[in-house]
Amino acid sequence: MDPGGQNANNSSDFVRKLYKMLEDPSYSSVVRWGDDGDSFVVLENEKFTKHILPKHFKHSNFASFVRQLNKYDFHKVRQNNEDGQQSQYGPNAWEFKHPEFKANSKDTLDNIRRKAPAPRNKGAIVDGDMPIQQIDLMNQQIVAQAQQIQMLEASNHELRVNHQTMVQEMVRLHRTVLNHDRVMQDVMKYLNTVDAQQRRNSKVLFPNAQDNAGTTLTPTSQNIGAVDEEAPASPLQHAQQLMQEYNVDPQLNFPGFENSYPSAAQNGMRGPASTHSSGSMGYSKLSDGQLEQIVYPTGGNNGIDPMYSEHLPHIPYPLPSKEVDAGELRNKYAESRKKSNYADPGWARSPRVLLVEDDPTCRQIGAKFLLSFSCTIDTALDGLEAVSKVQEGGKYDLILMDIIMPNLDGVSACHIIRQFDRTPIVAMTSNIRSDDIQMYFQHGMDDVLPKPFTRKSLLDMLEKHLMHMKKIPEGMAPPAPVGVNPSLTTHPPNSRSVQDDMSQGASPAGSTGTWNSPSQYSGVSPVSASMSIPYANYMDSNNAAYQAQPTTPLNPNRPMLPAGSQPGMMQHRRGPSEMSGQDMNPAVKRQRVSGTYTGQPVAARPQ
Amino acid sequence: MADAEEFDFGDNVDTATFEQILDMDDADEDDAHEFSKSIVFGFLDQADSTFAKMETSKYVRPDKSIHVVRTLIHYVLRKDKDLKELSSLGHFLKGSSATLGFTKVKDECEKIQHYGQKKDETGATDEPDEEKCLRLIGQSIAKAKTAYDEVKRLMEQYYAKLEGNA
Repeated sequence: MDPGGQNANNSSDFVRKLYKMLEDPSYSSVVRWGDDGDSFVVLENEKFTKHILPKHFKHSNFASFVRQLNKYDFHKVRQNNEDGQQSQYGPNAWEFKHPEFKANSKDTLDNIRRKAPAPRNKGAIVDGDMPIQQIDLMNQQIVAQAQQIQMLEASNHELRVNHQTMVQEMVRLHRTVLNHDRVMQDVMKYLNTVDAQQRRNSKVLFPNAQDNAGTTLTPTSQNIGAVDEEAPASPLQHAQQLMQEYNVDPQLNFPGFENSYPSAAQNGMRGPASTHSSGSMGYSKLSDGQLEQIVYPTGGNNGIDPMYSEHLPHIPYPLPSKEVDAGELRNKYAESRKKSNYADPGWARSPRVLLVEDDPTCRQIGAKFLLSFSCTIDTALDGLEAVSKVQEGGKYDLILMDIIMPNLDGVSACHIIRQFDRTPIVAMTSNIRSDDIQMYFQHGMDDVLPKPFTRKSLLDMLEKHLMHMKKIPEGMAPPAPVGVNPSLTTHPPNSRSVQDDMSQGASPAGSTGTWNSPSQYSGVSPVSASMSIPYANYMDSNNAAYQAQPTTPLNPNRPMLPAGSQPGMMQHRRGPSEMSGQDMNPAVKRQRVSGTYTGQPVAARPQ
Repeated sequence: MADAEEFDFGDNVDTATFEQILDMDDADEDDAHEFSKSIVFGFLDQADSTFAKMETSKYVRPDKSIHVVRTLIHYVLRKDKDLKELSSLGHFLKGSSATLGFTKVKDECEKIQHYGQKKDETGATDEPDEEKCLRLIGQSIAKAKTAYDEVKRLMEQYYAKLEGNA
């Protein structure tokens, strides 16, 4: 039985029933209006409950009745006014009063309404509870955050350790590469002299060569003499090209390095410079900073070309006085080569390479090399097949295109493909004359890989054009470009150092987004200055305004040599590379990065 | 696996280059040298047929210094076309021999390529005398063939040794 059976209408049924009940004169001995008419009295409780309640209110529960009255804001009137004095209605009388409930006023009944819902509803928390719950919540948050911080600290520590290891590896690798480069230069030097010697000899032997038009010697003694000249020709050209492509900077220009690894950096960098295998190259004469100038300044048309004897005196370094130990060099070379052979390039996803080559031997070897670099390979036997593969929707990350092929040659195929596709295309050829190369670039080639290629040169080419596909760990990306020699900023395409590969990929990959978060923590946890300086500075360069300030003494020397001596070949390298947009961004970014090394610790950064 | 350096190829093979190929053999388990062997012997077959083509397409002038190895000699009067064809055959063989490090063969093939383009052996300047070019090509083919035979012999020995040890 529901005491509150009525709806909360305006004039509720309960009130009306009550009123009606009170109008009944036969109840006057049990329940009736009060003497003043502003209240009513239940005189006989039992009788009221037994007889009257059921008739009007469908229940016989006095307590429910009283509750109902209370709901409608009726109040019980106390019976005892003074001590000992009974109320006028009797000892067991119940008097109830409501301001709107009057004997002769039916209209005001409508004003009698249920009280507003008691404050004991769902949403009502006692005031005292609120703060407690809030405090609990906050405590939980604090605990969670503390745990988070702990985890972050642990991972930060790990990252630091990893970074250290990586940096050490880089130093070591750099040293290896430097040695490598020295070796190559030694060999070049030696071959140069051999060459020059032969030329001198041939000049002596054929003084009248100019008159003799029918011999194999050209009239101008520029060409090599009758002695077997074939050997220096293509390898030397090949070597020239490679040297131009890969100029290793003797200094790993990483100011953060020097701050944090003074011993490693200094020893590592000075080491290769000062300890030279033969010592006869006269490098000791030059300071380390000037080693940069020992770029082998050659070119097809000017500069120093080993084919042309009159340029010999122009070589800016002395020729070797004694023969370099070829065996030792080869071992060094082989060893360092082997070490690099088995390194996984670390692609984020396997690059899809289209290998276009008519010769099965080269094709199989190329494919095997590419497989060993974790690439996915597709092959085409000639230009026609290559074009149709690309046309039919083949999506490749790189196309290696032989030039001389049946049905459709590489240059034409490239030209056609360029009408509708921008996949990087690398020409593979043994024709590395500058006018041929010019033609390749004119028809849309992005680069040239001389044949026969070595595994390493193939890998380098892959890395060069597929840097964006490399897997770069989150924490490592932005600092990597920091390692780039700022001197490269003034002459980007020419002077690629080995670090170029890292920087090219890392700059596009590393975004400011990744590094905003660490900055927030830098104030919280004590960060050791040695590890964070590179990070901080990169943040500075990314977040602050870019300032280009070349910071090394190498800069002024840089532009002079290469610019003057390699217009033929290098210009064309620059052209398509610029087209592809790959060179410019890293170069510009490098410039930015180099500008803001102040060596300030992270903590100094304003939060 | 026997290192290529332990086996003496003399100066017929550029060990560094050839070793690159051998390095790729590591991956193969069942037949340790399957890859390099297939490349090498594939090349040998390729070279055999290329030399045969050269022989049939060149206009050979008997010369005391030529070491004639094939008995089939085909006289073709369109020398210019032959020169071009010979050049491309030379180029073709040059590529694969270079990739394997067979330097002597490669050098001769390069010369053939240049002669076929009516240039001198370095390829730098022109040699307009077609007769002469053909003659020089003949000489180079002979030298290439000699070098090739030598390399072939060495390779067969090398792989016999490798497989004998394995």
